[in-house]
Amino acid sequence: MARIIGGLGSPHAPSIGALIDQGGWEQPEWKKLMDGYRPMQDWLAAHKPDAAILIYNDHVTSFFFDRYPTFALSVASEHPIADEGFGPRPLPPVRGDSDLAWHLAHSLVEDEFDLTICQDMPLDHGALTPISAFWPNHENGWPTAIVPIAVNVLQFPVPSPRRLYKLGQALRRAVESWPQDKKVVVLGTGGLSHQLHGERFGFKNADWDHEFLSLLETDPEALASLRTQDYIERGGAEGAEMVMWLAMRGALSDKARKLHVNYHGPLHTGFAQILFEEPDAVPEKVSI
Amino acid sequence: MVRQIDPERLPAGTYLNTGESANRALRVNRLCYDLKEPANRVAFEADAEAQMARYDLDEEDRQLIRNRDWLGLVQRGANVFPLLRLSQLCGDGLAGTGAQMRGETLEQYLATRQAKGS
Repeated sequence: MARIIGGLGSPHAPSIGALIDQGGWEQPEWKKLMDGYRPMQDWLAAHKPDAAILIYNDHVTSFFFDRYPTFALSVASEHPIADEGFGPRPLPPVRGDSDLAWHLAHSLVEDEFDLTICQDMPLDHGALTPISAFWPNHENGWPTAIVPIAVNVLQFPVPSPRRLYKLGQALRRAVESWPQDKKVVVLGTGGLSHQLHGERFGFKNADWDHEFLSLLETDPEALASLRTQDYIERGGAEGAEMVMWLAMRGALSDKARKLHVNYHGPLHTGFAQILFEEPDAVPEKVSI
Repeated sequence: MVRQIDPERLPAGTYLNTGESANRALRVNRLCYDLKEPANRVAFEADAEAQMARYDLDEEDRQLIRNRDWLGLVQRGANVFPLLRLSQLCGDGLAGTGAQMRGETLEQYLATRQAKGS
């Protein structure tokens, strides 16, 4: 049976993707952020997960508000790079895993998550920023298959923090019932605090971000118990997307260990990264 | 059942994409959404009035776009992510769009930040 070996959290701002495409890993203003990816890259290179379930939100790129899914799962074997309005990023198409994705679809629907199943889902920065940061040597393709799940965090009502946490728990049950000897990681993306619209544009809250990171490790139940309103008040309207990290955390066991955390928020957004490892995760080789 | 949002108690300067304003803004959001197609970017730059007519925008939305009034558009229900396609096409980056929504110049906004990148 398949198993989840870890969970990773990352922001998904397009500015980070642009920095990666420009080779800006050492850019002084962003070095603290970019350095935060190094331990995650090393861990992924050592553990070589077969697939990554990516919890993200589409930014009105593959989906429009005329018919906007609450949860959308891609079962495609390949995902095009979206043009978001400025030309597509120079990235190879993102390999999926249809077998895992269809298994997830059946398991999640049986578990009362009635997803929209997507067979053709171009990916925007919500997905591309984190994966291009986690796997920086992606010029010739992606070492790990990506199974994206898009979450509505834009057109209200949006799913609650607890719903995201439960989605993660359902994902764990789904992966553990996949009859393949495969290693899976779960990626939570977005945030942390930021607001990108209205007179409150630029709102950030580093204290809340640090509290969130701490509770994510020690008491995710407390985070699941908060209301969407709490996330908007404390972390900004767009920052409320950080509930997607609860799906990642919900997919982990209570024995998962935090290996790494990083925080850097000098501009519009409080950016954070986190890495959790399950106890039975075994590296295939020692990282350099 | 826990109420997730208190619409009457949102932080000042916050406009959620929901309800009647979301219905009303569907057309302006669609114009912005469609800017992901290069041909639509070319068409808007060549003749913004024709493009606004094609999407059947009402006069208030058209005037807000003519005025590059990003705050007014958000207040009318435009969602910031598709809107950024339009504002950036019109020459305002994320920071510039945000500064205008705060009622500041770009320089004033960036002075409140540690980093100056976009």
